[in-house]
Amino acid sequence: MSEVANAATAPTGRPPLSGGRDRESRWTPYLFVAPVALYLALFQGYPLLSEFFLSFTQTSLLAPQDARFVGLRNYHDLASSSDFASVLWTTAIYTVACVVFAISLGLGAALLLDRPFRGRGLARALVTIPWAAPPVAVATIFVWMLNAQYGIFNHALKLMDLEVGYESWLDNPRLALPAILFTTVWQIFPFSSVVLLAALQGVSEEVREAAQMDGADRFSIFKVAVWPTIQPTVALLALFVTIWSLRRFDLIWVMTQGGPIGATKTLVIELYTRGFVARELGEAAAVGMVGLTIALVVTFVYFWYTQRTERAQGRR
Amino acid sequence: MSKLTRRSMLAAAGASAALAATRSFAQGKTTITFAAATFAEAGRGDKLKAWIEKFNASQDKIEVQPVAISFSQLANTVFTQMGGGGGPDLVRFDQTDFFAALPAKRILPIDDLVDASKYSFQAPDKFLNVEGKRYGVVFELANYQLIYNPALLKGGEPPKTFPEFIATAKEATGKGNFGYAFRATMPERSGFWQDMTNYVYGFGGNWADGKQLTLNSPKVVEAITAYKQVYDSGVIPKGADAATYRRMFWEGKIAMNIDNGGVAGIFAAQNPNLGFKAAPSPFPNRQQGLILTSLSVNANTKNKEACGVFINWVLQQAPQQELQGILGAASVATQVERPKADLERAPWLGVYDAQTPYALPQLVLGFETKTLEIQQIVVEQVLKILVGNADVQKTLDEAQSLALRRIERQ
Amino acid sequence: MKTPASHALRMALIMVLLSVALFPIYWMVVTSLTSSANLFADRPQMLPDPSQAFNYAETFSKTGVLVWLKNSAIVAIGTMVLSILLAILPAYALSRFRFHGKGVLGFILFATQMLPEAMLVVPLYAIFAKLLLLDTLGGLILANTAFTVPVITWILKGAIDGVPLEIEEAARIDGCSRLDIVLGIVVPVVAPTLAAAAVIAFFHGWNEYVFAQTLILSQELRTASVGLASFVGELSTPIHTVMAIGVMYTLPAVAFYLMVQRYVVAGMTAGSVKG
Repeated sequence: MSEVANAATAPTGRPPLSGGRDRESRWTPYLFVAPVALYLALFQGYPLLSEFFLSFTQTSLLAPQDARFVGLRNYHDLASSSDFASVLWTTAIYTVACVVFAISLGLGAALLLDRPFRGRGLARALVTIPWAAPPVAVATIFVWMLNAQYGIFNHALKLMDLEVGYESWLDNPRLALPAILFTTVWQIFPFSSVVLLAALQGVSEEVREAAQMDGADRFSIFKVAVWPTIQPTVALLALFVTIWSLRRFDLIWVMTQGGPIGATKTLVIELYTRGFVARELGEAAAVGMVGLTIALVVTFVYFWYTQRTERAQGRR
Repeated sequence: MSKLTRRSMLAAAGASAALAATRSFAQGKTTITFAAATFAEAGRGDKLKAWIEKFNASQDKIEVQPVAISFSQLANTVFTQMGGGGGPDLVRFDQTDFFAALPAKRILPIDDLVDASKYSFQAPDKFLNVEGKRYGVVFELANYQLIYNPALLKGGEPPKTFPEFIATAKEATGKGNFGYAFRATMPERSGFWQDMTNYVYGFGGNWADGKQLTLNSPKVVEAITAYKQVYDSGVIPKGADAATYRRMFWEGKIAMNIDNGGVAGIFAAQNPNLGFKAAPSPFPNRQQGLILTSLSVNANTKNKEACGVFINWVLQQAPQQELQGILGAASVATQVERPKADLERAPWLGVYDAQTPYALPQLVLGFETKTLEIQQIVVEQVLKILVGNADVQKTLDEAQSLALRRIERQ
Repeated sequence: MKTPASHALRMALIMVLLSVALFPIYWMVVTSLTSSANLFADRPQMLPDPSQAFNYAETFSKTGVLVWLKNSAIVAIGTMVLSILLAILPAYALSRFRFHGKGVLGFILFATQMLPEAMLVVPLYAIFAKLLLLDTLGGLILANTAFTVPVITWILKGAIDGVPLEIEEAARIDGCSRLDIVLGIVVPVVAPTLAAAAVIAFFHGWNEYVFAQTLILSQELRTASVGLASFVGELSTPIHTVMAIGVMYTLPAVAFYLMVQRYVVAGMTAGSVKG
């Protein structure tokens, strides 16, 4: 290792690698990316293209070869459907709530676990366990815990003597989405807490101490010393959680299949329902295209936002 | 680097080849797959697999491999596979799924494999003959009756009318027991449809009259209003799915259930000391639903002849007799006498058998191939009534117009 | 500055946090060790009942859980290996080279993370049918890898960005080929991130449900996610059996995670924080 390091510092007459003019550097990049490009073209690109074409057809799951071209009808139907508007609304609520709760809970956990205490390593490891649990298993255990008669949630509420009675969480259109949200946040907050814990290592002690000397309260210290450092990480986390929320399928499907009366129907659940329950692949593909567009818009907004902040910081 | 990828592709290919090899360990045998939800059921699944093993033992060229897919996933899964040109060779289709697969030509006519004149089929066999072609044989026929636990009912007698039924269910609820249970959720939409159809038939209604949809006819409105009344009366364990409440039933915690004879068979197998009884459902009309499942051949199969051999084995006297015994209070493709000893040991078998003249498949008559679509619409709308307290008539009007639009489109 | 009271409050909050994080897992274990009668009791049984351990023996013998777990492990390990093999070189190329279409490739790698599996399962099924990959674990590995390769390439690129160029230049002088440099020098330096990426791919394969449900038909090739989900809403399978399967499916994943979590945390943050 030290040899390598020494050699690395030795003067060299060669141009930098990326600008190399030797025989290999012209084709090497393409050879390096070709396998993955081909792989993705076959298993992602081609399927995506066929979905795009499907979205302009009426196609039955049972007889995909008998597709019938219908132009923009599937999109037109979506645009004029009030049910689809409520799917978009549910997706928006679910996504925003996941972002807000997963990140704020993750940040709370990270702040709690940041400073040294006895058993910190163990606590940090244990808190991430929900993240390692398979979603289908998580859904199964939460369905049981939320069971109206025998679920531990209602037993606990009864013990606390709250006048709630037997609440059937997943069958109640007002409670099902919060229940699914709770499950989701339980599963994903450890991820944000792990990532934020790492980001907190970058917080400068001097700035923090300087703020403390000025007699700033905890919140001000956070605002001055901590937030600016972790803010890019929070933005990136928000992007990740948003994309995951837009695509999350197994957890919701196993718990409610989008019910009751569509209360937990997000875009992906709607896509699956149209494609595999109603067996209309064309309609499902149109839903997928709408979802993909939304995800792309979110990503562009993220990049635009981060570049703007970077530029603003650069000017400072 | 191309070496690298080739190596990884080879590794993957090698892995799948090795796995494929382990799959057909029975060398020289034709393996055909048979997908059914019943294979996944407690009480019946293992016995059915053992029943298939008897066929395998009798053959040296053909092996049938049972594939258990849960009831709620069977249609999604098998239809995707069929649409993609694959899928199991044989499928036990629920009636709605059978009729959905038919117009897409996903089921093979088997007139050349089965000589119908050799067998004395049950009457509902006619539903599997569409436009002069046979698309399978009956696997299971099951009637619906009121199953009750006399220990939980005052006087131990079942209710005869609907108001009596509500009152009895209320009396039996409490101390951790419930008077009744049924399905009312999206994940169990097929079962929900079955339960609801029993109410519709029991109140003298129908989803269609053979020519016109009647989703919003007065009788259907009456039936759904009754369904809603039961849902709201506090006698059912809300949130308990069929797996849970059926278990509760044989644990002695549920007093009444309207369910098919197969379920009665499961209760008897799981708790022989339960002492449950059966009686006609407490509705104004004797008519109830009929479970009709088919044993059909996937049009994508490459082993049509082998499938034929299996189907003909199934139709023989001894396998039919044994199948009927395994299935509970159900009948099979051909008419098989129930052993006297069975009837004496389990009197409920006779009650179920007596329902046969009043049994009607849970299909939309005249719109059989659209049943699955209509089911989806009706279930979504009725949920609005049950959990969203929407007006019954208005919501069913909406269901009717949605269903009409869906049919017109196709 | 730090008062005992604020320390006690902090420790109390940490205890609450850990309880919330661990209770559902604990409850899964308790339920799997609850007698049939106690499942529907008025008062829940709060502690596991060791005398119900036979329930596990029954689950082993009556369900295919061992085969499912074995299949999940094969799929997870296969996905992990294939993803890493495919991702290393493009990650390096994206980090070090300037070439036509680099921006497009980077964008595609990011954008594919937005595609839900449920959307692509039908066309994928058709492709698999043509390539005779249906109903094979190898096919499932190929399908899963398509969804892990982009994110892993992305993470690895982030790590390689942080490797000083000088290390490589030295090797160039010694006449090493580019491939030797990547495998011999860059890979060891980014090993922690590689481990993290491997774990991410492993978990994707272990957890995956939609493809496993659709692309696999044979009973004995079924994965644990499908096996477990097949009991939800299934006729009369007792909840303690379902939970026993849940425990057997969850605990290996959790144990594996705890074993490697040091690397995961280091790698994941190195990769994802840099983006």
